[in-house]
Amino acid sequence: MEKGKISSLQMAMLMYPTIVATAILSVPGITATYAKQDLWLSPILASLIGFVTVYIAYKLHKLYPEQTVIQFSEQILGQFAGKVLGFLFLFFYIQTTGHMIRAYSEFIVGSFLFKTPISAIIVSMTLLCAFAVHGGLEVVGRVAQLFFPVFVIPIILLILLLIPDFEIGNILPILERGIMPPIKGAIVLSGWFAEFFLIIFLFPFLSDRRKGMKYGMITVVVAMMTLVVVNLVVFFVLGITTASQNYPLMNVSRYISYADFFENLESIVMAVWIIGAFVKASLFYYVTVLGTAQWLNLSDYRPIIWPIGILIVQFSFWSLPSTMALARFDFEAFPLWGLLTQTLIPLFLLLIAVARKRKQTGSKTS
Amino acid sequence: MIRNMSKLLRKTKKKKQNQQESKPQDALHQSFNENVEIFRSIYENCSDVVFRPFSIFGKTRAMIIYIDGLSDVEGLDENVLSPLMQETANESQPFNELLENKLPVSNVKKVNLLADCIESISTGNPILLYEGGSDGFSLSLAKWEKRSIEEPAAESGIRGPREGFTESLQVSTAQLRRIIKSPALKIQSMKIGSYTRTTVALAYIEGVADQTLIDEATNRLQRIEIDGILESEYIEALIEDNPYSPFPQIKSTERPDVACANLLEGRIVILVEGTPFTLIAPISFFSLLQSQEDYYQSFMISTFIRWLRYGFFVISLLFPALYVAVTTFHQEMLPQALLLSIAAARETVPFPALVEALMMEITFEALREAGVRLPKQVGSAISIVGALVIGQAAVQAGLVSAPMVIVVAITGIASFMIPSYIMAISVRMLRFPIIFFAGTLGLLGITMGIIAIAIHLCSLRSFGEPYLAPLAPLKGRELKDALWKSPLWKMGTRPHFTGESNVYRQAQGQAPSSKKGGESGN
Repeated sequence: MEKGKISSLQMAMLMYPTIVATAILSVPGITATYAKQDLWLSPILASLIGFVTVYIAYKLHKLYPEQTVIQFSEQILGQFAGKVLGFLFLFFYIQTTGHMIRAYSEFIVGSFLFKTPISAIIVSMTLLCAFAVHGGLEVVGRVAQLFFPVFVIPIILLILLLIPDFEIGNILPILERGIMPPIKGAIVLSGWFAEFFLIIFLFPFLSDRRKGMKYGMITVVVAMMTLVVVNLVVFFVLGITTASQNYPLMNVSRYISYADFFENLESIVMAVWIIGAFVKASLFYYVTVLGTAQWLNLSDYRPIIWPIGILIVQFSFWSLPSTMALARFDFEAFPLWGLLTQTLIPLFLLLIAVARKRKQTGSKTS
Repeated sequence: MIRNMSKLLRKTKKKKQNQQESKPQDALHQSFNENVEIFRSIYENCSDVVFRPFSIFGKTRAMIIYIDGLSDVEGLDENVLSPLMQETANESQPFNELLENKLPVSNVKKVNLLADCIESISTGNPILLYEGGSDGFSLSLAKWEKRSIEEPAAESGIRGPREGFTESLQVSTAQLRRIIKSPALKIQSMKIGSYTRTTVALAYIEGVADQTLIDEATNRLQRIEIDGILESEYIEALIEDNPYSPFPQIKSTERPDVACANLLEGRIVILVEGTPFTLIAPISFFSLLQSQEDYYQSFMISTFIRWLRYGFFVISLLFPALYVAVTTFHQEMLPQALLLSIAAARETVPFPALVEALMMEITFEALREAGVRLPKQVGSAISIVGALVIGQAAVQAGLVSAPMVIVVAITGIASFMIPSYIMAISVRMLRFPIIFFAGTLGLLGITMGIIAIAIHLCSLRSFGEPYLAPLAPLKGRELKDALWKSPLWKMGTRPHFTGESNVYRQAQGQAPSSKKGGESGN
C-alpha cells in the first residue's frame, strides 16, 4: 500500500516536532500548575513513558516486521477483537488529530488573528496536511526533514536571546514539597510522550530498520531535553506566574529585546509553531489514513484522504464547545486517554503476542 | 454530375496521398529517368531545389539534386562536376568504385532508399544519381550560413570560457567533444518532428551516467510524436516528470563548459538542432541556484556568494509578502522608529498595503517584460518612464509609498540574482499568491504558502531523482556542493543520485600545502 521508504533519521525528524511542537507551548504552564518550581523534573519522569512506549513498539515490530498495529492486532487477538481494537486506535487518532488541529487554531485565533473565524484556520491547515499526505510517507518525511532546522534553530535563538532575563534563583528551593508534585506534572505530560507509539506505523517503512530503535530512543532523549530546557527557561523568566499562563513560551518571547531592533518576536514563535503543528498534524493524519485503509483492506489509501479530512475537521468541533473545554480535556482526559491507548493497550498486545509465540514454538518443538 | 466529380476528386486525392505515403520507404528505381521523375514530383513547387543534369565522362547521364543555399556550390563545382565531366573513363574498374575514387569529397555515402535521399538533400548533402545504377551518392557538401560562436548572452560571467553553443548541432557537439576528448563521451542522435525532422542528440559519458537514466531518457525522447521541434523547450515540455509544476525540472544552458561539468557528474545532455539552449537532466533545486562561476572561484568566495544567492532567493519570494503582512497585521514586530517612518510614508496612500504591493509588483513585471521585448533603440524610454514616472512621480503624487518602491526594487534585484532565468520567473510567479496570502492571513498565510511550496518541492522529481536532494532526503556527503561549496580537492565523489555507478572522480588527499614538493633543495 505504501511503497515509499524513509530513513531512520527522517523518522526521528518526524517524531521530534510531533511530540515537541505542541508540548513546548502549553506544557510549561501545565506542569508548573502541579510542580511549581520543580517543573523541570516532570519531563524527565514523563520521558520514562516515552522509552517504554518506543520499546513496546519496537518489540511488536520485531514480531510482525512487515505490518502496522492495525494489521497485526488481528493476528494477535483474532479477527473480530482485532478489528474492534483497530477501530479504537483509529477513533483515537482521528479524535486526537481533530483535537490537535483545534488547539492549534485556538492558539492562532486567540493570540494573533482575533477576528478570523476559527473554521478558516482549521480547514486551511487540514487542506495543507491533506496535500502532504497525498504525496505519501516519503513526502511527509522529506517535508519534516526540510523543516527540522526551521523548527529547531529559532527555538535555540529564542533561548539564547532570553539569557539576559534569566532569574536562576526562581527554581530554588528544589523539591520543597517532596517528589509528588513533579510526578503529578509528569502524569499530565506522559500523554505527550505516549504519542511516541506513532512510531509503530513508521517502523515497517524504514529503509534501515536496524537503526529504528536507536533513533526512536534518541528522539525521546532529545524531546525530553528540549522540554526540560524550555521549562527551565520559562520558569527562569516568569517565575511562579508560569502556572497562570496558557502559552508561557509566547509570553516569554515578549521579553526579548536585542539591539533595540529585535523586539516582539512572538510572531516568530507563531511561525515556528505553525510548522511544528503542520508536521504533527500531517503525521497523525497520515497514520489515520493509512490505518483506516488497512483496517478496511483497501488497496490504496489516497481515496480516503478527503473523507477522513472532513471527519478530522468535524472532530475538531465536536465535544469541544470552547477553549475552556479544550484546556480541561488537555488537563484531565487526555493524559489517561492517551496513555491507555498508546502505552497500556500496546503493552497488553505485546504480552499476548509473546505468550502466543511461546505457545506456538513450544508446541512445534514438542 | 457533381457527386461524380467529387468522387473523382476524392479518388485523385487518395491517389496522391497514397503516392506520397508509400514512396519514401521505397528503394530507388532501376531506371534513371524514372528516378528523376520521382524526385521532380516530390519537389514539385519547391523553387529552391536545383536539378543539375550532366554526363559523367561524357557518356553516362547523371543528375545532381541539391537545395540552393544549403550546399557548398563551389565545392560541388570544383570537386564533383569538374572531375567527373573532364576525365575519361577507365573501363577496367567497375563504374561504382570508379566513381567513388574519382570524387575528392571526404564523406561519400551510398544511398538506396528514397527516404534517405530526401533526408540527405534536406540536410544539404547533394544527391548524385546516374544512369544504370539503382543507388545514388550522398555527398557531404552541406554548407549553410550560420552564426559564429559568440559569448552566451543569457549566462555571462567574469571568469570562464567565453564561448556558447550556437544553433548548429554539429558545432555544438564538436564543442562538447573538444572539452571531453575521451571516446567514452557518447552522442546518440535521432530525428524528431514529422515535418521539421529536427536532429536531437543525447550526450552522456559511458561508465559515469547511470544506464537506467540513459534508457529512460531515450525512451522518453522516442515517445515524442509531433509535427515540429523549434526549440529545446518543446522537448522539455514533452519529457519532464511533472508538467503541472511551476518549477523547471530540466535545466537549460547555452554554455559548453556547464554542459560538460554536468556530463562529468553523470547527467545527460540533450542538444537540439536550431537552438543554442541544451537541456540537462536530472537536476535538483539547488543546481538551479548555482552558476558556473561558483566553480571558477575560490571555495570561500563561492560559498559566500551562494549564501547571498540563497538569501536573496528567499527575499525575492517573500519580501513584498512580509512587508504586506507586517504593515497590515503585525505592526508590533517593527521597532517604533521604523514603524513611525513607514506609517508617515503610508499616510497619504489611498490603497491598502496588499493592493499597493500587487499594483507595484505587476507594474515592475510589466516593465521587465517590456524591456526584454523592446527594440534596443526604444529601451532607454522604458527606463526613463520606469524610474521617473513609476518611481518618483507616483511617490510624490502620494499614490504609492516610498517604502513600497524600495521593497519592489530590492525584490526585483533579488530575482535577478537567481542564475537560472526560468527559475527566476517561477519565483516571480509564486510571489503573487504569497502576497495575497499575506494580505489575508498575515504571517500565518505566508507560512502556509511556504509549507505548500515545500510539500510540492518534496514531491517533485526530475528524471526520478528527488528535487530537493541532497537536503531532503538528506545526503550528508553531497551537502559539499549544495549548502556550501567545498574546496575542489575535497570534492572527491560524484553526486549520489547521478554518479553512483562511478563514485570517485579524483584522487584523495590532493590538498595543496607548502610541504608538498616544489623546492627540491629541501
